Amino acid sequence: MEALLEITPDVVAREMLTMDWDEPQTIERSATAIKIRGLRKSYGALEAVRGVDLEIQRGEIFGLIGPDGAGKTSVFQILGGVMQPTTGEAKIFGQSARETRSSIGYLTQAFSLYQDLSVAENMRYMGELRGLSRAEIQRRGMRYLKLFDMDRFTDRLAGRLSGGMKQKLALACALITEPKVLLLDEPTTGVDPVSRREFWDTLAQLSADGMTIVVATPYLDEAERCHRVALMHDGVIHQTGTPAQLRHHSGLKRLEVRAADLSRAETLLCKVESLADVQRFGDRLDVMARNAETAEAITRATLRSAGIAVNEIRAGAPTLENTFVAILRELNGEVNTPAFPVRRKFRDRAPNAIAIGAHELHKRFGKFHAVKGINLEVKYGEIYGLLGANGAGKTTTIKMLCGLIEATSGELTLADEKGGFRSSFVRQRIGYMSQKFSLYDDLTISENLDFFAGVYGVPPAERAEKMQWALEFSGLAGRGNMLTGSLPGGWKQRVAFGAAIMHEPSVLFLDEPTSGVDPLARRAFWQMINRLADRGVAVLVTTHYLEEAEQCNRLGLMVAGELVAQGTPTEVKAAQRGQLIELNTSAPQQAANLLKAEMESWRVSLFGDRLHVIVDEEVLSAIQNLQQRLRRAGIDVRDAYEERISLEDVFIAVVEQARREGKVAAED
Amino acid sequence: MKRIIAQMRKELTQIFRDRLTVALALVLPLILLVMYGNAISFSVTNVAIFIEDLDQSPRSREYIAAIAASRTFRIVSLPGGLGKDEALAAEVVRAVITIPPHFESDLMRGRNAEVQWLIDATDANTANNLRGSATAITQSFCRQNGLNPTAIRPAVSAEMRLWFNPGRETYKYIGPGTIAVVLALFPPLLAALAMAREHEHKTILQVYVSNISAREFLLGKTLAFFVLALAEFVLVVSSGMLLFGLRFVGDPSPFLIGALIYLFCCVAFGVMAGTAIDNQAATIQAVSMVCFLLSFLLSGFIFPLSNVPSIIRWVAYVVPAQYFIEITRDAFVRGGGWSAVLPGIFALTGLGIFFLFTAWRKMRRMQVNV
Amino acid sequence: MKNLIHKIRGLRVFVLFLKEMRQSRRDRKFIAALILPPTVQLILFGFALNPNVTDLRLGVVDDSRSVLSRELIAAFEASGSFRVKTYFASPTVLGQELSAGKLDAGIIFPPDFARQRERGETAKVQFVLDAVNSNTAGIASGYAQRIINSFNQQFFKSEAGVKLDGATTPLSARVALLYNPGLRNSWFILTGVLGILLILNGTLVAAGAMVKEKEVGTVEQLLMTPAAAWEIITAKIVPLCLLLSLDIWLALGVGWLVFDVPLHGSLLLLYCAGVLCVLAGVGLGTFLATFSRSLQQAQLLSFFVNPPLAMISGATTPIEAMPMWMQAFTWINPVRHFSTVARGILLKGAGIEILFPNLLVLMVFAFILVFFSARQFRKQLG
Repeated sequence: MEALLEITPDVVAREMLTMDWDEPQTIERSATAIKIRGLRKSYGALEAVRGVDLEIQRGEIFGLIGPDGAGKTSVFQILGGVMQPTTGEAKIFGQSARETRSSIGYLTQAFSLYQDLSVAENMRYMGELRGLSRAEIQRRGMRYLKLFDMDRFTDRLAGRLSGGMKQKLALACALITEPKVLLLDEPTTGVDPVSRREFWDTLAQLSADGMTIVVATPYLDEAERCHRVALMHDGVIHQTGTPAQLRHHSGLKRLEVRAADLSRAETLLCKVESLADVQRFGDRLDVMARNAETAEAITRATLRSAGIAVNEIRAGAPTLENTFVAILRELNGEVNTPAFPVRRKFRDRAPNAIAIGAHELHKRFGKFHAVKGINLEVKYGEIYGLLGANGAGKTTTIKMLCGLIEATSGELTLADEKGGFRSSFVRQRIGYMSQKFSLYDDLTISENLDFFAGVYGVPPAERAEKMQWALEFSGLAGRGNMLTGSLPGGWKQRVAFGAAIMHEPSVLFLDEPTSGVDPLARRAFWQMINRLADRGVAVLVTTHYLEEAEQCNRLGLMVAGELVAQGTPTEVKAAQRGQLIELNTSAPQQAANLLKAEMESWRVSLFGDRLHVIVDEEVLSAIQNLQQRLRRAGIDVRDAYEERISLEDVFIAVVEQARREGKVAAED
Repeated sequence: MKRIIAQMRKELTQIFRDRLTVALALVLPLILLVMYGNAISFSVTNVAIFIEDLDQSPRSREYIAAIAASRTFRIVSLPGGLGKDEALAAEVVRAVITIPPHFESDLMRGRNAEVQWLIDATDANTANNLRGSATAITQSFCRQNGLNPTAIRPAVSAEMRLWFNPGRETYKYIGPGTIAVVLALFPPLLAALAMAREHEHKTILQVYVSNISAREFLLGKTLAFFVLALAEFVLVVSSGMLLFGLRFVGDPSPFLIGALIYLFCCVAFGVMAGTAIDNQAATIQAVSMVCFLLSFLLSGFIFPLSNVPSIIRWVAYVVPAQYFIEITRDAFVRGGGWSAVLPGIFALTGLGIFFLFTAWRKMRRMQVNV
Repeated sequence: MKNLIHKIRGLRVFVLFLKEMRQSRRDRKFIAALILPPTVQLILFGFALNPNVTDLRLGVVDDSRSVLSRELIAAFEASGSFRVKTYFASPTVLGQELSAGKLDAGIIFPPDFARQRERGETAKVQFVLDAVNSNTAGIASGYAQRIINSFNQQFFKSEAGVKLDGATTPLSARVALLYNPGLRNSWFILTGVLGILLILNGTLVAAGAMVKEKEVGTVEQLLMTPAAAWEIITAKIVPLCLLLSLDIWLALGVGWLVFDVPLHGSLLLLYCAGVLCVLAGVGLGTFLATFSRSLQQAQLLSFFVNPPLAMISGATTPIEAMPMWMQAFTWINPVRHFSTVARGILLKGAGIEILFPNLLVLMVFAFILVFFSARQFRKQLG
């Protein structure tokens, strides 16, 4: 730990910039597609981009990752030719970005569609703007819509599509001109894992066809699928390389530790100096150290002395997220979670008292049956994760559970009450953070906190202390006078979270609290959520990050308005039949295409450069079988082994299964 | 050219998809037409007055009958407990007429009699009109009763001729103006909104990324809303002619040409406003303020512009409605033909080009301005 | 004392109220909307809606070329209502100029104009007016008549020594112009526009404030707090009314400074009536907000409500000139009642004992509108 802390950001940056990447490349990259030299962009006094140099090869998927406000969007706007840099240049195929517009496709953070035009009209307009003939638009448009499985929706208004579909349409619109370079600025934020994976499968295919793709994403599992990744922070690029290079760069090994009391184990291990870093991921701790063997010994010893039972310790390669978090910690320092100033005694309740309960909960909007007979129970002190694709009915369910909308039928329990959820007495005990940013942009941060403290009846004497805590938690101590509207999205989420728990609720609803929040801050969120649960607060949370969903005590998986699976993360994963085999191949994309054609497509998915295949038969024979099949197609399998099924694999399998059974008609 | 048409078609699709927009463009103008045509008039009739007859003689009753016979006044009695002054202050009556005692005997004896007319002059224009009516009624009463003063033949008398609108019909004045004012509001408002919406929803970035030029983009937008304005024009002019009984006086071609240029000019203003302000709500405020208020007040729509102080009058020179109102009045009332209309047409063309050019200057780089 | 402050600070309504005040204070557009448009509108309306007939462009065809014709022309010029623009050779040319809109009036002296007079007859002159503007034409013809009458009086006084005035007419109407003897139309317009401003601004600002939380999505968060719907709505309406009622003082200031509008009655009463008017506007705005998803939608919807409120009110044009069906509508228009009250207080010095019917109606409007739309809005919140 010490050794790492000594590296100042400057040193890291220098080291990383000079790093070469010498790994053999699977895709031929003959020409430089994008060349950025000394790029700077200032907005008034604020310098968003402070000297960026980049070279991106043709056919590459290049990932730009970094926390909120790192300057990624500015780089995209300059590359797209829609903004002038202050100094420096950005060349695409040797020409200025402005001149090469016709060979660029650009997807902005917001859906860049006309919501009041239909799918076909959107495509037509985009095509005609680029001077394509009607026949061409028709031909290419249908091709992409078919590819995205959207050809049935040509007449639907763009505004009525789900988030995932909108992004696919936006991509289709950008593709219609058959651009050579595709710029994607956080295209999948707020999109569910299934749609995200489909989206990335498409990207992989496009890149295999020779398209250059630059993409920004807050999801690091997506970044694993890039050929190369650059880490941007504070307007500067700190590290560039293939995901593998970045992962191995630190020279650290990773230990997956599964133990009985993870939160206590984490606190204990963090204090051990010979361990470089300890991070909590779902149902395990990731311990980073230079030497795996000694680290394992130290970990076992430490936990044993504290009386924590160790279930399993496995060595593995560090993930991109491990690396990212480690680097951000070096640059930013740890986001520490200050102790919450508890002022109220938690009411004593019978063990296993139900905080949130629903029995046969239904909701109909006209003809549309949004929620179909949901049964769930959340006890005090429990974290319950509600997962599901966009449009599965999660938000509707949450709104019914907390009394924002009336259920069509069904019984509800909330904070020991059976009804009258709209009374201020009940709401006093509830914390709620909605999907959208729930702060007033035109108030300062302090004013916002003051307002929520006041309206929830936090006694005036306690307010200062509570507000101070919320500011510290958001990493904004001393900056309370900033206008909330000027904060990047991720920071706002943190303040909103602070605002939602100042009154010490006993039931907490969090609807996608961490969407768009960088990994470091996300960890602070979960630390706090865990602490609240330890105090006895019931937490109901939704998220699209399935890794963090592992931290829930129990999960519910929603598909098309129904709860199809429920249980602890381990139970949910165990319920998934079959084994997961991870393959490391010479041509992952082709391999995926091949296998998808041969077996049910939900069984095969790409994780970065690795292939996940779910098989029903015995593992060893399955591996042999797969190797044979791939070898016949001329694809070399470097490595194949059984891997634990992750929540994401389960999620995708369940949703795909429901789709096959006709429960979900993909959309509608 | 293909891109201009593509842009235009997209705008039209969006316009007709939104019911509120269509209602604004096609229904509201008709409502305003009816309202303005009827609400803006200064020829008062049936004004409530109270007559206090302190004489109660046949002569005084004849005088009252003369007042009652005029369409201008309507004689009412005061509700219980209300004095004359209170009735005037509470706007129960606009005027109180007092016929003095000995009215009849004074007249018979050839002594001067005076009837007192107390007129509420808060509305100066109406008060002026009422004063005229009072004098006219009294004079005609004198004539009919042979009470003329010793006939001295006046030195000079004028033969009054009211040209173009001999019946002094309000419709002939307000009607054409209403057409111009109504057209000045909605086409630019909707054009400005569509423009600002692209900025607000960030769809403008997609336009920037494509290789459409600022000129093509702006022309496409302008054309789409021009088409909409044209539809509104046909609707408004035909119903205006029906409603106000307007007919073309002479050759309608200067009017039609002038109208096309006026519509272009209005839409161009909207496009310019939408380019300058990238927030929809603020755009509505600005455009309604400029188009509605200025076209209404500084165009000679209600009262002649010459009454306005000269500093404010300068503003009127950039209000397109000012020129078009004159063109419509010429077409429907005066019939002055091309020579009367040409300066206005030139001014409108100039303004339209200026508006579009300003929009182009702001947009020409087709990039995010920081 | 400190305890009390703490108690008040702890009140939810107060917290909500404070938040609204802070938001509007920071909203520069809102502050600008409170000050700028009303000032501009008051000044524009006051100056632009002026029916006076001055400086009418007069064309002259003087075929008589006599002293008498020149004296009459001089009399027209001296009146200030007419200004000789051009002399023309023939009536035809004058007619053309008139139809081209380059003249407002024409006077045509026949060749034997002076000779008629010399023969002891009445000399006849032709006076032509462009009557497109019916109102101006009516007033202008009256002015022309009056100029000629006084010309006659002058003429007889000097030439024949006969006095031709009221004394010789057996019956005359003695007209007294009450409350506005100077016949300043701006007084009428300003007192009317004040009501329009209060209601229109109230509608727009309230619709904005109500719809904003819905649009941004903060309303859900707000609904999950213990604050009751009535607390939320009250906390929104009260600051709006307080701020918007500032426009009353602004309008009075502009009226007093620019147009010399007098104040004969009670300011307090006027302010109260103004607040009622604002309340009616706020109620209407809240009502519009229930139909809108976004601010601009609310604004566009207001186009269906605001122009009728402004026009069918008698605020700027006389009600007696409207068709009967429209006159009936003015009774259900708060602007009409406020105009009566404003004129009563400012120009006529009337008190509550005279204006109470209008005040009562205003009050009923304000409360019905606020109550009804607040209920509607609350329903939508839940």
